[in-house]
Amino acid sequence: MASGYHQRLQEFEILLESDVIDSEALRKLCFLSGCPHEKSIRSRCWKILLNYLPLERQKWKAELQKQRNLYKQYLQEMIILPGKKMKSKELSSGELCDHPLNPNPNSEWSETFRDNEMLVQIDKDCRRLCPDLSFFQQATEFPCDDLLNAMSDVETLRKRVEHCALQTETVSKNRLGITVNMVTKKRTQSEEYALLPDGKEAHWEVVERILFVYAKLNPGLNYVQGMNEILGPIYYTLASDSDQDCREFAEADSFFLLTCLMGETRDFFIKTLDDSACGIGNQMRKLTDLLKTLDMPLWQQLQDQELRPQFYAFRWITLLLSQEFFLPDVLRIWDSLFSDSKRFDFLIYLCCAMLMSVRGDVLKNDFPTNMKLLQGCIILGSYWDKKNADVVIHPFTPDNVPGLQLPETRTKQDTMKYLTMGLLNLFLWCVQDGEGKETLERTGAFFKLFFCRTNLQLHK
Amino acid sequence: MAKKTYDLLFKLLLIGDSGVGKTCLLFRFSDDAFNTTFISTIGIDFKIKTVELGGKKIKLQIWDTAGQERFHTITTSYYRGSMGIMLVYDITNMKTFDNISKWLRNIDEHANEDVEKMILGNKCDMDDKRQVPTARGEAIAREHNIPFLETSAKANINVEQAFMNLAQAILNKTPGRISEPSLVNINQQDTSSRRCC
Repeated sequence: MASGYHQRLQEFEILLESDVIDSEALRKLCFLSGCPHEKSIRSRCWKILLNYLPLERQKWKAELQKQRNLYKQYLQEMIILPGKKMKSKELSSGELCDHPLNPNPNSEWSETFRDNEMLVQIDKDCRRLCPDLSFFQQATEFPCDDLLNAMSDVETLRKRVEHCALQTETVSKNRLGITVNMVTKKRTQSEEYALLPDGKEAHWEVVERILFVYAKLNPGLNYVQGMNEILGPIYYTLASDSDQDCREFAEADSFFLLTCLMGETRDFFIKTLDDSACGIGNQMRKLTDLLKTLDMPLWQQLQDQELRPQFYAFRWITLLLSQEFFLPDVLRIWDSLFSDSKRFDFLIYLCCAMLMSVRGDVLKNDFPTNMKLLQGCIILGSYWDKKNADVVIHPFTPDNVPGLQLPETRTKQDTMKYLTMGLLNLFLWCVQDGEGKETLERTGAFFKLFFCRTNLQLHK
Repeated sequence: MAKKTYDLLFKLLLIGDSGVGKTCLLFRFSDDAFNTTFISTIGIDFKIKTVELGGKKIKLQIWDTAGQERFHTITTSYYRGSMGIMLVYDITNMKTFDNISKWLRNIDEHANEDVEKMILGNKCDMDDKRQVPTARGEAIAREHNIPFLETSAKANINVEQAFMNLAQAILNKTPGRISEPSLVNINQQDTSSRRCC
């Protein structure tokens, strides 16, 4: 098994070391076997697959340099300069032509207030990003130097969030007509998410900054809840890489990977596009249509119980399944998702396979039980743990799925192989419609096997 | 099909700004536990709990919604079918209280006219960080004639009470088309607000 793994590493390295990356071969390898985290392979692959890095390897260095400088510039424009302005306004006692109560909608202050509102929302979500993982609460080895050095004369995002809380407090007292000045210096964060001391910042704060810059640069989209869940796995991958350069510039690189990925999925986040061809509504329709052609009884059951795709698939699709699985599994699924050129069709097939993998229960359960099942239980594998051994829902056993034999003792690599084969089967379904139904059902069985036989934690 | 194990089914909806603790309140009520590690709700979530009221087994089907504006197209479609709506704000965050009137307008626009409502000021265990005085919560509730409670999902204050009061209010006006109406226990509905902490 170990030699197989080394062989795979080697295959990746050969591909990634060549002067011009063989895109086709790389996609195939990533899709089928998933990217190893070791030796920066996943980071490098994702940067290529999402078109952040060109295929010519000699251009990488300059390209990265250029983009990282650009991000630095964004930070200057979006955070440092406005932060300095705010700070100096705060300090200057002289006459102001612009002031917080300026009713002009173009006033810088009104923009500041709008930004603060958005920032508070981002802050709430980033603090609760991947709470089962300590990673995001830990200090980054590479805090943003520009901000740290300028700390004293810049209103940083952290301070802005704190001040937002204080500002509303003062207003509330005024509204009551109570004139006693009771502004306290208390921080409003809950103890569970205590801030690190000045000079240090946690990974979630870096994520927050990326999202803030992204939202400022994309005012038509702004920040939508859930973007943090898209950025989380990307940032995690880069910031926990073995290569120092990759870790050091994880912030800038993650920003651009997010931009690349959102370039394809941003429509899912835009409310006004919900019912258009590119919006989330149409994606959910694609899923139900696919299910209808593949598994009429299951489709009918969901229909009869009014179990609309909005209840479960909305989240599956907008977040690219990132809330449905443990992070290591999300990374593996994204390896395949990013490497597939028809990536969102593929996502729909995955969702369909997830539905079909629980069809046995869905067909006999009532509405609330099914809701619970589809909304959460698939997620942590708990569903299959509970079911383990005593109930066989699907007629599929490892023996009648071609090419799959469960060995006596299984390793993580074995397990990944099963998932991989499941994904492969789905992919085959895309290309050969003929036996589609059978293949997809098998994939459902794969998912079942995958979760029922492992408590997969790939972290060492 | 599962055997019917309840007499009545009530559909409830939780709304309010993001981060006010809707999911935590619901989790406390349905599982009697508190979890600080909730991820943000995307779209809509769902919980179920069966309670006994007035000698009836009542199944509460509770929808938990995402707070952000973007999800309103998804979430407002649930207003219509709801029999009771909880409006939640965070007493440590004035903005979430200011938005209660916005949420009330949403109800007017999308919910049935006779939907039962209740306003909850959550996180009342964090009195040292309080920004919204209890009196203000009481005032807006009185103004709209809606029952009000301050709750804490964390310290388990008034959570059960809140859901039971709302269920009771719905039960009180449920016509007795199921079984004998005489058996329905029409309690004096307790609309007075209760302070906690």
